[in-house]
Amino acid sequence: MTDPTSPSQEIVLETHDLTVAYDKKPVLYGIDVSIAPGQLVGIMGPNGAGKSTLIKAIMGLLEPAGGWIQIFGESNKSQRKRVAYVPQRREVDWDFPVTVMDVVLMGRYGHLGLFKRPGKRDRDIAMEALEKVNMIPYAGRQISNLSGGQQQRVFLARALAQESDLYLMDEPFVGVDAATESTIIDLLQDLRSQGKTILVVHHDLPTARQYFDSLILLNMRLVAYGPVEEVFQEELLQRAYGGRLTILSEVADATGEKSKVDLSAKR
Amino acid sequence: MTPKFRHSPPFLALLIFMFAMPSEAHAAKISELVEVDLGDQFVRFFSLQDAAIRHILLGCLFMGINFGLLGSFVVVRRMALVGDTLSHAVLPGVAVGFLFTMSKEPWAILLGATMAGLLGAATVSWIQRSTRLKQDAALGMVLASFFAVGICLIKMIERIPSVNKSGLDHFFYGQAAALGRADLWMMGGTAVLSTIIVVLLYRPLLATSFDQVFARSIGLPERMLFHVLMLLLALAIVVALQAVGALMVSAMLITPATTAFLLTKRMHVMLCLATGLAIAAGMLGAFLSFVGEGLVSHALPTGPSMALCAGGFFLLAFLFSPHHGLVFRYRRHLSQTRQITVENTLKAIYRAMESDRFKEEGIAVRRLAGDARETFEETMTRLRLLVRDGLATFASTRGEVIYLTPEGLQHASRVVRNHRLWELYLTNEADYDADHVHADAEKVEHILGEDQVMELERYLDYPEQDPHGKRIPSLRDTQRLPLRDLAVKEEEVEP
Amino acid sequence: MNHLIPPFDAYRVFVEPWTINLSQTLLMTSIALIVALSAALIGNYLVLRRMSMLGDAISHSALPGIVIAFLVSGSRDSFALTIGALVAGIVTTVLIEFIHRRSIVKVDAAIGIVFSMLFALGVLLIELVPHTDLDPDCVLFGQLEWLGVHASSDPMKALFASSQFQLLFGVFILTAALNLTFFKELLVSSFDPLLAGAQGFRPTFIHYAMMCMLSLVVVSAFEAVGAILVIAMLILPAATAYLLTNRLRTMITLSITHAVISTIGGIHLAVWLDCPASACMVIAGTFFFCIAWFIHTRPSRQVDDTQETESLTNSAESELAPH
Repeated sequence: MTDPTSPSQEIVLETHDLTVAYDKKPVLYGIDVSIAPGQLVGIMGPNGAGKSTLIKAIMGLLEPAGGWIQIFGESNKSQRKRVAYVPQRREVDWDFPVTVMDVVLMGRYGHLGLFKRPGKRDRDIAMEALEKVNMIPYAGRQISNLSGGQQQRVFLARALAQESDLYLMDEPFVGVDAATESTIIDLLQDLRSQGKTILVVHHDLPTARQYFDSLILLNMRLVAYGPVEEVFQEELLQRAYGGRLTILSEVADATGEKSKVDLSAKR
Repeated sequence: MTPKFRHSPPFLALLIFMFAMPSEAHAAKISELVEVDLGDQFVRFFSLQDAAIRHILLGCLFMGINFGLLGSFVVVRRMALVGDTLSHAVLPGVAVGFLFTMSKEPWAILLGATMAGLLGAATVSWIQRSTRLKQDAALGMVLASFFAVGICLIKMIERIPSVNKSGLDHFFYGQAAALGRADLWMMGGTAVLSTIIVVLLYRPLLATSFDQVFARSIGLPERMLFHVLMLLLALAIVVALQAVGALMVSAMLITPATTAFLLTKRMHVMLCLATGLAIAAGMLGAFLSFVGEGLVSHALPTGPSMALCAGGFFLLAFLFSPHHGLVFRYRRHLSQTRQITVENTLKAIYRAMESDRFKEEGIAVRRLAGDARETFEETMTRLRLLVRDGLATFASTRGEVIYLTPEGLQHASRVVRNHRLWELYLTNEADYDADHVHADAEKVEHILGEDQVMELERYLDYPEQDPHGKRIPSLRDTQRLPLRDLAVKEEEVEP
Repeated sequence: MNHLIPPFDAYRVFVEPWTINLSQTLLMTSIALIVALSAALIGNYLVLRRMSMLGDAISHSALPGIVIAFLVSGSRDSFALTIGALVAGIVTTVLIEFIHRRSIVKVDAAIGIVFSMLFALGVLLIELVPHTDLDPDCVLFGQLEWLGVHASSDPMKALFASSQFQLLFGVFILTAALNLTFFKELLVSSFDPLLAGAQGFRPTFIHYAMMCMLSLVVVSAFEAVGAILVIAMLILPAATAYLLTNRLRTMITLSITHAVISTIGGIHLAVWLDCPASACMVIAGTFFFCIAWFIHTRPSRQVDDTQETESLTNSAESELAPH
C-alpha cells in the first residue's frame, strides 16, 4: 500500500473523525478527508474555524482528542521526513543572528538528525531551493534586512530544502507583495506537477478559485471538501462563513453538511 | 534607617548579604598583595606568580566559557532574566542538599542546588505552557517563591542544635578560601561539559532557538534540548554562585552575550565573541579590583568590577558597533538626509532651467528661494552642499546666481528622470491621480536604483512625457549632455 | 524531619496571636497588609503589561539611588532615601527604554543589563565611600524577615506615629488613589497602548508614572519584607487573579483578596513554623496560586498573541463602554 513508486495509487493524507480539543472544548470536530497525491488543496473558513489547528494536528504538533490521521498510510509522526510545514510568518525573531542561507539549511536538519553536519549535497539542495524562490542574491544577508515577501520566500525555500512529498502551509500569502505572491503560486504549481501534495490555509476567497484544485471548507466541522468548482457554491460558502455552526447542536446539523468527494480515483 | 525590629540572626544576614554583595573577602585576599606602581602591578598580576591570582584567572576563564556559550543562547531566546531567577531559585536546593548529608559536603550541595535550579526552570516553562501567564510573570513567581521556601528551610536548619553549619557558611560565602581547588575543578568540569554539548549539538540548538515550531515539525527533540540547556545553565550558575556570588550571575550571563549580539550577524561568531568578552571582562575586573587596592586601601569587591567591565564593553558596542551602534546609525541617517536634500535641490534647479527652456545657464538664488518658499539663507545653505559636492558653482563675484556643473547637470537629469518615470508609473499603473502623484514620487525616487529605473522605463515602453506633459530625460541625457543640446530637445517636444 | 517542623498546635497557631500577642500581631499584620495591598495594585498592571520582572529590577537598581541619597543628605532618614530610590527608579526606566528602543537589544536583556550594572555601581559606591554608618544589610533588606518579631510590644499609637508606617501608608493611599482616578487610562494603555495613544491618554506618561509608583512601593517595602520577597507580593496576587478572570475590575478585586488572605495566612504559618513572616506570606500566596492553577480553565481557543490581544481589547472596550 505504501509503495512510493506509484504515487497515484496511494492516499497522501487521510483523517478519520478527527477531533481536536483545547481544554475540553472542541476546535475541530469529526473531520474526514482523504487526499490523493498531486493536489493543490486550499483550506478555507472564517477566523477561528480551526484551519491552523488542522494543519498543526496533521503535523503532529497537536494531539487529537479523537479520530486518527494517516500520512502515506502510516502514523503522522513517523512520516515527518516526508512532510514540510511552513508556519505563519510572525512567529520568529527577525534579529536572530542567522543569514538567509543558514535558515534554508535548517530545512536539511530533519534528514541529518542531531549530530551530522551538512555536507556539500545539503548545501546544493539549499542553493537550489533559494534559486526556485529567486533569493540567491540574498543568501548571505541577515534575515532582518528583507522585505515581508522576501522573508516568506525564505521560509518557503526552507520547506523546499526538506524535499518532502507533502507540504502544509499556513497563510503563505498574508502580507506579501504581488511579485512574491506570483512566485509562490508558480512554485506551488510546479511542486504539484511533480506529484507533490500541498495543503494551503488561505484567507482570500476570490483567489482561492484561481489557485487551488480542491478546497476544504472548515467551520469547526467539515462544511465541504471537493474540487474547487463544486465547493464554490453560495450555499456552502454561506454555511461556512455566514454565522457559526454550533457544534453542540448535533440535531440541527444532522442533515449532511459534509460533502466528501473521494478523490482517490482522480488522475 | 534605625531598625524598628530586632536584628536578624547573623547567619541569615550573611546569607542574604551574600546574595547581594559577593566576594568582599575575595577581594580581601587580593588586598594582601598591595603594590603601588601600575605597571608593576600589571606584570605581577598577569605573570601568574601568585596561586590566588592564578586561581582567579582560571576561574574567570571557566566562568567566561560557561556564561559566554550559555548566555548567547539565553539572550537569543529572549530569556535573559532566567539567570536571575535561577540564581535565587537554587536556595532551597542548597538547604535540601545540606539536610541530606547533614554536613558541608560540596557535592551534595551542588547536586541539591542544581536540582532546585532545574525544577525552577521546569516550573517556569510549565507555567508558561499551561496558563495565560507569560514568561516574565513565571520567572518572577518562581524566583520569589523558591527563594521564600529556601529561606524557611535555612531558618529551620539553623535551629538544629547539633549540626555543623560552618560548611554551609563556607558554601555561601564561597570565597572564604578564595577559589579553592575543588571550586576550580567544578568550574572547569562544567565549562568542559558546556563546550562539548554546545559543539556537538550546535545545529539542533540553533534550530530550536530560532524557530521552535519548525524544529518540532522536523522531529528535533525540542523539549529535551531545552532541558539540556537549562541543566547546563543551572550547573554553571551554581558553581559561579559559590565562587563569586549572585549579582555576578545575571551580569556576566547577559551582558557579554548581548554585546556580542550587537557586533555580529552570525550565531557561531556570537558564541565566540561572547565567550571572549566574558573572559576578558572577568579578568579585567579582577585586575581592576586588584589594582584598586593600592588606590583606595580598602577591599574592592571583584564581583561588581567584573560586572562593570562587562557593562563597559556593552556600552562601547552599543555606541560604536558597525551595524547597530548608535553613532554609526546616526551618521548614516544624517548622510541619507543630506543626500535627499542635495537631490531635491538639483531637481529644483533643473526645473527652473527647464521652464526657461535651458536658455539661461544660471538661476538666481532668490528665484529658487521663492519657488521653494523659504528664505534666501536657507536656500544658500542647501546650495552650498551642492557646491561642496562639485555639482554646482556660484557666479564669480556676487554669489547670487547658481550654475550647475556638468556633473551636476548629469546628476540632476538622472534624478528628474527617476521622478518622472515613477510618476508616470503611478499614474498609469497604480491609478493615481495626476495631481496626487508628485508627493509620493518625491519619497520613492531617491531610493530607486539604476536597474529598477531601467526596468521601469522598459515597462512603460520608453515614454517621452510625464503626466504633466514635461519631457522625461532619457538615459543618454543623463550622460553628460551639454546644455545647448537640452535646449534643442525642448524645442522638439513642443507641438 | 520532625525536629525541623514544629508540631502543629491549633491553639498556638490560631488563637494566641490574636489574644496574648495581639498588639504584636496587629502591628505585623497592618504593616504587611499595607505593603501587600499597594504591591498587589501595582502588580496587576505589571503582569498585564508583561513587565513583572521590573519589580526585581527596580529593587536591585534602587541601591545606588539610596547610597547617593545618603551621601547627599548625610542622613539615613527614610524620606531622603526614598527620594533617592525614586530617582534611581526613573533612571532605570529611562535607561531600559533607551537601550531597547534604540537598538536591536530586546527588552529582557535591557532590563537585565541595566539593573545589574546599577546594582554593581551601588555596591562599588558603598565600598568606596567611607560610610561607617551605612549598614548594607539594613539598606538592602532592612529587617528582611523578622517583620513580626521584635523586642518591644509597641502599642498602636507608636505604630501610627512611626515614620515607616506613615511612609507605607502614604504610598498605599497614593497607589489606591491613582488606581481609582486613572482606572480607564491604565486599563486601556495596559491592553492596547496604540489605542490609548489615539484616545489621547499618554501611554508614555502613564508608563513612567507607574514606574515611579513601583519604585515607591518597592522601596517602602524593603524594610518590611525585603527586596526579593516584594517581587512575590507584586506578582502573585495579580497572576492568581489573571488565571481566574478576563475583566480588569474582577482582577483587581481578586488580587486584593489574594493579598489579604496570603498575608493573614502567612502570619499564621509563620507562627506555626517559627519562620520569617514575609517568607511565609509568599509561601501562602504560592499555595493559593497553585489552587487557582488547578481550577482555572484555559481560554477556549488556541491562544496566540493576536487573539489574546483581541480578546483583551474587547474586554477593555466593554469596560469602557458607558453602562
